[in-house]
Amino acid sequence: MKRLRVLEPLAWVGPAVVLIALVVLWPVIEMVRTSFLEVSRFGVVRGGNGTKNYDKLFAETDFWPVMFRSLVWVVAVVGFTVLISLALAQLFNQRFPGRKIARWALIAPWAASVLMTSIIFKWMLDPEVGIINLIRRDLGLIPAMGGADADQLGQAATAFPWLIFVAVFVSVPFTTYALLAGLATIPSDVYEAAKMDGASKFRTYWSITLPLLRPALTVAALINVMNVFNSFPIIWSMTHGQPGYSTATSTIFMFILKGSNIGESAAMSVVNFGMVIILTAIFLKISKWKQEVA
Amino acid sequence: MNIKLVGGAALGLATMLVLSACGGGSQPAAGGDSTGQAGGPVTLKMVAADYGDNPTADNAGTKFWKSVVDQFQAANPNIKVDVQVISWNDIDKQVATMVQNGQVPDILQTGDYSGFVKDQLLYKTDEVLSPEVSKDMLTKFADFGKVDGTAYGIPFVSSARALFYNKELFEKAGIAEPPKTWDELKAAAEKLKAAGVSQPFGLPLGQEEAQAESFLWMLGNGGGYTDASGKWTVNSPANVEAFQYVKGLVDAGLTTPNPGTKDRKTVWEDFAAGKVGMVNGGPMSIPIFDKGAVSGKYAVAPIAGKTGPLDTTLGVMDWIMAFNKNGHAAEIKKFFDFFYTGDATQKIVDNYKLLPVTNGGIQKLSGDEKLKPFLDALPNASFYPFKDPKWSEVNTTIKQTVGGAVKDDPAKVLGDIQKVAEGS
Repeated sequence: MKRLRVLEPLAWVGPAVVLIALVVLWPVIEMVRTSFLEVSRFGVVRGGNGTKNYDKLFAETDFWPVMFRSLVWVVAVVGFTVLISLALAQLFNQRFPGRKIARWALIAPWAASVLMTSIIFKWMLDPEVGIINLIRRDLGLIPAMGGADADQLGQAATAFPWLIFVAVFVSVPFTTYALLAGLATIPSDVYEAAKMDGASKFRTYWSITLPLLRPALTVAALINVMNVFNSFPIIWSMTHGQPGYSTATSTIFMFILKGSNIGESAAMSVVNFGMVIILTAIFLKISKWKQEVA
Repeated sequence: MNIKLVGGAALGLATMLVLSACGGGSQPAAGGDSTGQAGGPVTLKMVAADYGDNPTADNAGTKFWKSVVDQFQAANPNIKVDVQVISWNDIDKQVATMVQNGQVPDILQTGDYSGFVKDQLLYKTDEVLSPEVSKDMLTKFADFGKVDGTAYGIPFVSSARALFYNKELFEKAGIAEPPKTWDELKAAAEKLKAAGVSQPFGLPLGQEEAQAESFLWMLGNGGGYTDASGKWTVNSPANVEAFQYVKGLVDAGLTTPNPGTKDRKTVWEDFAAGKVGMVNGGPMSIPIFDKGAVSGKYAVAPIAGKTGPLDTTLGVMDWIMAFNKNGHAAEIKKFFDFFYTGDATQKIVDNYKLLPVTNGGIQKLSGDEKLKPFLDALPNASFYPFKDPKWSEVNTTIKQTVGGAVKDDPAKVLGDIQKVAEGS
């Protein structure tokens, strides 16, 4: 009986372990394995390929620009998202008439499918009939519909900011709510004490709110980093990474490669996976994950 | 206490068993029906591409195949056909995943067959198709189904391209007839532009089908992706010159803006809305145009070349093929023969305006005014070098980057694509 006793935890933990092994570990192993195989475009495995998939990937002229762009993409989207969310969370933490409605409204971009949101933005930016361009024409910003001026998604210089905008738009609700939850945990007596000591509003925010908000902020930003790095539908539905590869991030690049070379695409996935782990590690290091709030 | 403990252990164990069963459950399903005992019912698994507008449209692929399969099953109660319809965007990747996992279908209908031949996954055509049906196929098409002299791919449907122009806009701009040469095309585009048309020439060089539009311009200057011997010539002087000409149109604002980011679908929809003067299209664009504002106001002409109208055009063929893994040759043969001899091909033409691949089918259509330019063009059509093992990679590269050739330096962009084609 004693021996069975020892096994009891296993019975409870076992299913979860099996689940993780099946759903998380196994695909990772398969991904790494595939990256060393020669696979025809039609899915026929032709045997081992050594590191050739990786050699080919690193030799692609577009590889390094794509990696750099992915980094810009993550930093810009997460940066703007966090800044805007901090402000919004502060606002929604105040009592004002209609707060309930405003809070509900903020959920909308989150509740709508990302793909739908992206397609709607693509339509709004359509050079012939898009509402954003109609407004720009009426404001006199562009001479007429249909020309190159009205085609903001057609050039990387204007398309990439729009992509970032949409990504921020869909990321803000979750981040704001995570921060709102964080704000709710800050006890009010700390603020009272600060008030007694005559601290300025800015000082209070900087020295009390932000440090106490850090656990929520770290989690929210970290989830955003991973999400945004792997973000696919926004870019794919709005530009396909075009013109050329000039709006493609590494996830888009991986998907395009899948159309011609599955092994190389798997190699790109492995690189992507490594990048997420590295980014996460750097992020945790910077935000001093383990250090308790003083 | 004891009961609790044993109960917990049993529950845990049961969960594990269920989970592992889920993980491995797919394997027996694929191999289980491969026996194909004589006399017993056989299920043919089929994967097909969706030619319809969307999964709920009246012409959705699922509806089309259901009507075919229902008829077939009524005549052959012992054979069940299970059709999975996948959109064109996903079919290649999904089929690749099926093959990689060893779950190949019995029948596949898609855009290419040649990649499966080398690995001996396919039945030869004469194993799954009656000689009478084979004989009726257009010879030129059937020949493209052969690898090293043996036929594996069966032509399914085809299409050709021609120039669609908006008669109303042409009249407004004072253009008497559709352009025959590049000079005439540019002059017409300039007149359209002056008449306030935002996209005189619709130019989709984006991801969706850049390889088609590019090929038509190359053909216009006597160029192409490969030469007669099959050697890659993506950056041949003729091709570079063609793209320089197109770049001139783009720079003058006579085309769709930023063509390298525009999909065929978008540009065709713009033409349907009456915002585009001329565009290269195929029979499959007719239903789209007929639904739009341009309905009844457009006409079809041969595509303009540098010195005169093209005597060839882009032909595209789709294929149907049979995989040999599950050993259902006899049943597949029955289904194929039923498909090609019945009214199914007629239904495809009616639904999707795709062109038939049999002599019999083409004769039946000769009276159709709108389809005539395309039917006439078919016998002399040019095709992608899709049997070349590098084609899929070249194709992917063209789709992504060829738009740069009308924006930056054509010679460099085409040269980079040529490098991909020549790479190991």
